[in-house]
Amino acid sequence: MIKARHLSLALGAVAAILVAACQDTASPRPSITAGHVKPPPKGGGECANFRLTGGGRVDQRDHLGYAKSTPESHDFATFGFQARPTSACPPTDGSGNIEWNEHNPDEFGGGFAFHGRVTFFTTPTDETAGDSRCGRFGGLGRLNTRNNGTFEDVPFEVSHACDVAEPGVGNDHIKITIGDVYTRHGILSGGNIQQHRLTGNN
Amino acid sequence: MTLRFLVALTLLAGAVQAQSVTGKAFGTYVNVAGMVSQSPVAMLPTTGGMATGQADAYGVPGSVDAQWLNAVTTGAVDTKKTGAQSTSEVENVSAAAGAITADIVTAVATSYFGQFNGGTDATGSGFTNLVVNGVPVTEDVAPNTRVDLPGVGYAILNEQTSTGDGVTSWGITVNMIHVVLQDGLTGLTTGEVIIGSASSSVAR
Repeated sequence: MIKARHLSLALGAVAAILVAACQDTASPRPSITAGHVKPPPKGGGECANFRLTGGGRVDQRDHLGYAKSTPESHDFATFGFQARPTSACPPTDGSGNIEWNEHNPDEFGGGFAFHGRVTFFTTPTDETAGDSRCGRFGGLGRLNTRNNGTFEDVPFEVSHACDVAEPGVGNDHIKITIGDVYTRHGILSGGNIQQHRLTGNN
Repeated sequence: MTLRFLVALTLLAGAVQAQSVTGKAFGTYVNVAGMVSQSPVAMLPTTGGMATGQADAYGVPGSVDAQWLNAVTTGAVDTKKTGAQSTSEVENVSAAAGAITADIVTAVATSYFGQFNGGTDATGSGFTNLVVNGVPVTEDVAPNTRVDLPGVGYAILNEQTSTGDGVTSWGITVNMIHVVLQDGLTGLTTGEVIIGSASSSVAR
């Protein structure tokens, strides 16, 4: 069953490459490998005693400011998420959802909408490790591309979502990886990320 | 002593219970001569959480044509820090029979409070390749910019409305395109079209 699904995804990925190539042979596209269907990432950090909510917009990459991109580029993403541990420590299981919409036509699928379901929630393991304002979560989701591709059970990881200050614009930052075909990492150009105490269900 | 404790406990409980968030976002809303049509709405529960409303395409002939409508609202209530943030995006927009077009319309509405301050923020809202009456708009559109639409009425672009008292409550609504339809002879309002709407509020 799983192998069949993976084969289906792989075929879909190949089809997406062919479609993309036919649409625009002049500009390079990111490649898709079998890693696109790699197993879901596992929580490697420590359990976290907080929850995160957030939503907004990211334009610039790798902390290079937070100005809006030029209109011609369509190079920005918008998002909304809620994520939390499913119970107190030590389990690192998580719950929640994320919506991530990428507008850059040079990204995978000519841009896409991603709907992820959170399955783990931990402290970060990347360069933000040790920063108590940051959390890490991930799971699986559905990827709908602008060129009409649909991929199910695609792994994703928000390697850090950091609540630096209020409001979040110019302060908070987030890094997401979807499959092995997409990464965006930047400071919020709109919206907010908030870290909350681990109480209640929302 | 016991009475004081009970009063304090009651006040504390009241303060906690009074905390709330609201969030709402949608792609399009059309009201023409009382006939109302709206794309899926994301509505945040007052206790927080997350809600979405999406559609691949949406159209009302003569009023609006749009694709890839995505509305998301999230928020959480916490005694230490409370916030709600809503985002609405609409692509390939054509409104008021083509008088207004845009590649992407984005509305972002953020409301928050922490231990010492609160506020709202619409930063991140904007248009990508906006054209009004055939003229490209290359600069950022200032909040509450009015443009006349001959034969249609007028529009408020980047419409921002604040709510709350600024002390215990904060809120903002952002409507990126708000077309007011008017009768050509009488000037009376006959309807409205809203594209790219996001709102949020918090109270403590």
